[in-house]
Amino acid sequence: MLLWLLPPVAWFSVFILVPYAMLFWYSLGHTEDMRFVPGLSLANFARVFTDEPYLGVILKSARIGLMTAILSAIVAWPLAFVIAFHTRSASVKFALYLLVIVPWWASYLVKAYAWKTILGTNGILNATLQGLGFTDEPVRLFLYNEFSVVLTLTYIFTPFAVLSIYAQLERIPTSLVEAAKNLGAGGWEIFWRIVLPISVPGIIAGGIITFSLAFGDFVAPVLVGGSDSVMISNIVINLLGVAFDWPMAAAIGLVIITLGLGLISLTGWLEEKTKVRL
Amino acid sequence: MRAFGNRPFVLSLASLVLFFLYAPLLVIVVFSFNDSSYTGLPFNGFTLHWYADLLSNRQIMGSIWNSVYVAVGVVILSVVFGLPAAIALDRYEFPGKGIFRRIVMLPIVLPGIITGVALLSFYLTLNLKLSLHTIMLGQGTALMCITITEVFARLQQMGKSQTEAAVNLGANDWEVFRHVTLPGVRSSLFGAMLISFSISFDEIAVTFLLTGRENTLPMTLWSLLRREVTPEVNAAATLIIAVSVVLIVIGMYASRGKGAAGSEGR
Repeated sequence: MLLWLLPPVAWFSVFILVPYAMLFWYSLGHTEDMRFVPGLSLANFARVFTDEPYLGVILKSARIGLMTAILSAIVAWPLAFVIAFHTRSASVKFALYLLVIVPWWASYLVKAYAWKTILGTNGILNATLQGLGFTDEPVRLFLYNEFSVVLTLTYIFTPFAVLSIYAQLERIPTSLVEAAKNLGAGGWEIFWRIVLPISVPGIIAGGIITFSLAFGDFVAPVLVGGSDSVMISNIVINLLGVAFDWPMAAAIGLVIITLGLGLISLTGWLEEKTKVRL
Repeated sequence: MRAFGNRPFVLSLASLVLFFLYAPLLVIVVFSFNDSSYTGLPFNGFTLHWYADLLSNRQIMGSIWNSVYVAVGVVILSVVFGLPAAIALDRYEFPGKGIFRRIVMLPIVLPGIITGVALLSFYLTLNLKLSLHTIMLGQGTALMCITITEVFARLQQMGKSQTEAAVNLGANDWEVFRHVTLPGVRSSLFGAMLISFSISFDEIAVTFLLTGRENTLPMTLWSLLRREVTPEVNAAATLIIAVSVVLIVIGMYASRGKGAAGSEGR
């Protein structure tokens, strides 16, 4: 047993537990002349909640994460539904499943970049609008704002939402739908009263991950966001790379880890609560 | 009959979603062949010019090899440490099992930059110089859960009877592994390796803070993208998409039959 268990436990201790412990150690100190000075102060954690811009940016990142989670669930649902209910053979189902997997695992950076080429001032949308004579100057409305960040993130996370909603829908027994039909229920009624409620745990499971990953994104704000759409990960990067304020970056990191763990537990609880026995 | 609802309506909604998923990727692919120095309409004709530029761009080509090097390392780490982890999780009950499972999933649930910050503090304390190897260790940690969950799911599906039979017939630990476990998980292990490779190849969130002087391909593209969008980047992006698509499709076929392989991304 130890033979199998020891190497991975050692790995995760060294590369996850120890680094997190060090993060904690750094967060208790401060910097003087760009040098780390150890300490035992919780001042950095206080600063996360009192100093601008930290709390504001965390809340904004959370808002962007939430909008992304909700939008990608809405966009994903019909596709998940079709894969679970409207495919007539196993190979069509697998093919559709693959069509969803491919953009999910395909390059994150490329996906964000794709929207830059579409929405940008020299982008396809603007070039087309100008080419067709609708406008003389590039429309800046599409890019460099919160909308473009949310759109890009929704695009990135929709495949994941499809997968988690699909996993839930696939569990619904055919007999349940048939029984509802025999009792005279129409399509909308089956949707509202049976299928949608049963899909809720899948929506939550996918939504929390989407929220968490969108919350921590730093690619979209730089590529398609504006000067005011800086998110919390961008702040962390700046603290490390520009300000050399390690302790502050560590404190923010720990706050996010704590929030993340809380969120995972909350999800587990919510999923349990909304789960329908089938 | 399982289907309900207005079939043409739901099918067209789903097609719209698929269009939303693929149109942006298609845009990049199409414009990588466009004979025009900026990404936009009109389409001036087909050219391989940007691919030729790409091949002669030493910075990009160098970073492609760096990415391959890192990805191979990540795959090796995932197998060496992930396979035993999956076997241990499947076979044994041990104290802290629940916590171990959560810790394994942590880097993929938390924003990658956080994993980066934590590892960076670790390296800094040890005075480790940032290099391709520090990226490798970081990505290996973050992506190991793919191998663990894929192989674990297959082991659960296999059940214990074969292993027990082998033990009853006098097989030792190594023989059980060599002749029962490994052949059983081979295809899902292979699938996990391909998926890990492909994710590592374009990983940026964990990589970002752990990069030293040598860049991986996504980091090189990132620095190019921040300046301007050039068709050369489109060509590189198309190559990245092509590599991921091929690896993922093969990987999925390899691990097909064990259900929702993709949902393990969580």
